Amino acid sequence: MFSSRVSVRLRAAVAVGAVTALAAAGCSSSTSSKSSAKGNAPINIGLITALTGSNQALGPDHLNGFQLYLDTHNDMLGGHKVSLKVGDEANGGAAAVPVAKKMIEQDHVLAIAGIVATPTIQAVVPIATAAGVPVVNTGGRPTVKDVSHLWTMSFMSTDPGASMGPYMAQNVPGSVYAFGPDYQGGYDQLRGFTDAYTKAGGKLANDGGKATFTPFPNTTDFTPFLSKVKASGAKAIYCFYTGQNAIDFVKDWSQSDAKDIPLYAAGFITEGGALKAEGQAANGIITTMNYSPDISSAANRQFVSAWSQKYNGEAPPATAMYSWDAASVLDQAIAKAGPNPTPDAVNSAIKAMGQIDSPRGTWQLSADTHVPVQKWYLRKVEMDGTALANVKIGDLATIGS
Amino acid sequence: MRIPAVLLSRPVRIGVPGAALAVFLLIAPSSFDGYGISLMSKALALGVLAVSVSILAGYSGLPTMGQAAPFLVGAYTAGVMSTHGHTVGVLQLLCGTLVAAVFAAATGLVAIRTRGVAFLMTTLALGELTVTAAGEWRSLTGGTDGMYGITAIQPLPGMAALSSDRSIYWFVLTATVVVIAVVWWVLRSPVGKLLLACRDHEARMRSAGHPVTRYQWLAYVAAGALAGFGGVLMCTVNAYVSPDDGSFSNSALVLLAVVLGGAISPLGALLGAGLIVATQDWLSGPFPGHGPLLLGLMFIVAVYALPDGVAGIRFRVPKRRGGPA
Amino acid sequence: MGAINTHFVPALDGVAYGLLLFVAAAGLTLLFGIGGVLNIAHGTLFALGGYLAASVSDGSWSSAFLGLAVATVGGTLCGGLLAAGTLPLADRGHLPQALLTFGLSLVGADVLTTVYGTDEHPVVIPKSVNGTVQIFGHVYPTYRLMFIVVASVLALVGTYVLGRTRAGALLRAAADDREMVGAMGYAPWRVHAALCGAAGALAGLAGGLGAPIIGPGPDTADKVLMLSMVVIVLGRPGSVLGAFGAAIAVGEIETLGVSISSNWAPYLLFGLMAVALVVRTFRGSSAVGAGAAAGAHA
Repeated sequence: MFSSRVSVRLRAAVAVGAVTALAAAGCSSSTSSKSSAKGNAPINIGLITALTGSNQALGPDHLNGFQLYLDTHNDMLGGHKVSLKVGDEANGGAAAVPVAKKMIEQDHVLAIAGIVATPTIQAVVPIATAAGVPVVNTGGRPTVKDVSHLWTMSFMSTDPGASMGPYMAQNVPGSVYAFGPDYQGGYDQLRGFTDAYTKAGGKLANDGGKATFTPFPNTTDFTPFLSKVKASGAKAIYCFYTGQNAIDFVKDWSQSDAKDIPLYAAGFITEGGALKAEGQAANGIITTMNYSPDISSAANRQFVSAWSQKYNGEAPPATAMYSWDAASVLDQAIAKAGPNPTPDAVNSAIKAMGQIDSPRGTWQLSADTHVPVQKWYLRKVEMDGTALANVKIGDLATIGS
Repeated sequence: MRIPAVLLSRPVRIGVPGAALAVFLLIAPSSFDGYGISLMSKALALGVLAVSVSILAGYSGLPTMGQAAPFLVGAYTAGVMSTHGHTVGVLQLLCGTLVAAVFAAATGLVAIRTRGVAFLMTTLALGELTVTAAGEWRSLTGGTDGMYGITAIQPLPGMAALSSDRSIYWFVLTATVVVIAVVWWVLRSPVGKLLLACRDHEARMRSAGHPVTRYQWLAYVAAGALAGFGGVLMCTVNAYVSPDDGSFSNSALVLLAVVLGGAISPLGALLGAGLIVATQDWLSGPFPGHGPLLLGLMFIVAVYALPDGVAGIRFRVPKRRGGPA
Repeated sequence: MGAINTHFVPALDGVAYGLLLFVAAAGLTLLFGIGGVLNIAHGTLFALGGYLAASVSDGSWSSAFLGLAVATVGGTLCGGLLAAGTLPLADRGHLPQALLTFGLSLVGADVLTTVYGTDEHPVVIPKSVNGTVQIFGHVYPTYRLMFIVVASVLALVGTYVLGRTRAGALLRAAADDREMVGAMGYAPWRVHAALCGAAGALAGLAGGLGAPIIGPGPDTADKVLMLSMVVIVLGRPGSVLGAFGAAIAVGEIETLGVSISSNWAPYLLFGLMAVALVVRTFRGSSAVGAGAAAGAHA
């Protein structure tokens, strides 16, 4: 009897709670909607990244790179104090739709930065484009129908493979075995590699001459996949993996029949936390990346020293650098957008931007795809002092159109 | 404090929250911005899914962990129709419901044979298989990147396309009210009592000559159809569908919605879904990345504080061969 | 001969991976099959064990054993909390417990990432087992070979304790008839607490042992939970031998199966689970269903 009375009361509370919560959700806009900028009034910038879900290992770097830029620039972009509105894209895709809508409708952000997973791009960009808000993207970049408001700081998903393909065709004495995870970003990455590699005269060692895709996210043991490599007679492996997959793949490779077959990869496999977790297993892996912390330029030294000061002397991962660049691009664009910047003005200012001075070297946005036209570097994991690091050993092609 | 008996009477218990909800649903949009309105649309679409779970878990005693699967099927049906130029909302609702019903009819043949935790596990496995298939069948579904930039629908042929969050809300609300009214009417009829009787007294119903398994299969198909209807609405709200919409955690969240709202109350399921959307998408706003924590606390509180809601979902006794059936 | 040669490593690895799944699932099958608690937070306990073991590991044998001890103790304590949380729900069937533990797993995931961050934590294992060995001309990780031995011993000990000791007999009796065990003078809450504690200890220990293979990271809990569920559904819940056989079968499917035909790899795990459930139901001997009935009546 007691319990049923309690539950009636509680169920009433649930009903009231649901109604008031939704009411408050809708109404809180009335307070924030009037905060549009006057003079050098504060501005709102949105940042969407993966803080939970299957990409959460990658998420924090996107936030930290942007935050570091703000920290070292008095929390200002283009002369305006910035209030950074952070949203969680979780597993990517539909989960990010309400996040983006809130940023646009309630926070009236000037721009949205970040975005880790390609499904999130596909879900968020149409909404932002309809509202005229530029998206300055720092994660994976798929093919998108309307790029008028999408500006990518990282690379096209096919670029890392396209930079490595010709190099491996020339320098590997024999065929290459290619691996990737079974999702769209993985297909794009491997397509970039196989197209460029076969075009340069290379031949895949995989069964049927096509790259092997491992189930995602459920593959934890890569040993059975790797046991085929040796038998295929491949002289090298090329792969694209990130996060936990990257760590598992490297560990399994280093203790398999294939351990004597050199491993080449898109650079994410040995970035940041992944390299730490892999440890000595990663020693000797050769990767392609549009960044290496040992690039010698004033812009890079400033970035690397700011990062290592904040994070116990660690070297910054490339992702953090993309986010730093996103903040830097927004800084310049907002400055050019006048004293009362609007999303439209910021978007036009990004479009008119020429060469961008960045820790990775200078680059510029392609007028066609809105992706950086940039140089790719060949890196090797080596001992640098007491710790393993991605050391630049050469230049690859400049990619982008 | 004692609660006066009149406040516990059925008309008051259902009427008051029902009326409050109706007033809220009608008045709120005029004072909301697009974000608030689209959250309400999302809550309604998820609410329809929750009602379908309440038919299975509450009325039929079949707690499912895979109801997001027919939901996903409905959403993809709408997405595929839109990309092929069929953008009439009512038509999408009909087709999405139908395809999800066919899907449920097929998977139901398998799932309905199991009972209790085995049913929970079977529906979980079917749900995961559906999500995998949605990611693999790239030519139809667009793979793991999902279907994006889905064209706005027109409610009826000849009407203008729904271009704003507000107009989408009115469409979703109308569709939800219609379908919930139908569900309400069916469950208040002898059909609802029959289902409850099968849930509580399976052996007696069988010996009285009722084809209990067939009833439950029909309930499973109907719930699947309803979930598909919700999926079409979700596709309309998000203009985006991906395999993640069918995830295990979506299935678990709507089960929570049903628990919050009381197992055999469609209205409660709707409110439960509203509370979940409010928690996940709004309340967690100031704490980015801690949405799951808030939901987790909600699960824990609900289990202890709403024993009737939870107990309303009962596991059915498995039939045993040769036993005293 | 060539085919055998190609598939040798996957087949051997299937045994190691299967044993890992067995160790990972042991706590879940014990608690579910005997205690009637479907513990969705099981993977979280496994991850906790891994994090704890990783945090003390420095490459020495003493730190490795300390890590296992800490992981086991941590798992036991959380098992105790679980016992306290589920006891009031004991007579309400499986669903409230499943929902409670689902909530706990969400909270636990948040706590773990708050404490340990989102990077995977490497476990530094002793040098002598960190390398590789040659078996019939193939390279194979030493740790996994050792794991096969350790997990086999664990399986034997588990079978012995459950089947041949008084405590094991008591637990099995509690699964069939709680009241009878109560009448024998053992308070039901004690049996329940012992079960939860033992299951937590097993999960923590598994996390510590498995950490060099499935390292503790933000995905670990979900992965281990899903794999363990498949294993306990395939084996008879509560049966050590059943779980053992199922784990080896799943291990081989995930390794040898993938090696032979990778096209169906994405569907293998859950397809197998669905088929097993349905086949067993059609044959009318649903162990899982029977477990549910016990829970519903209890």
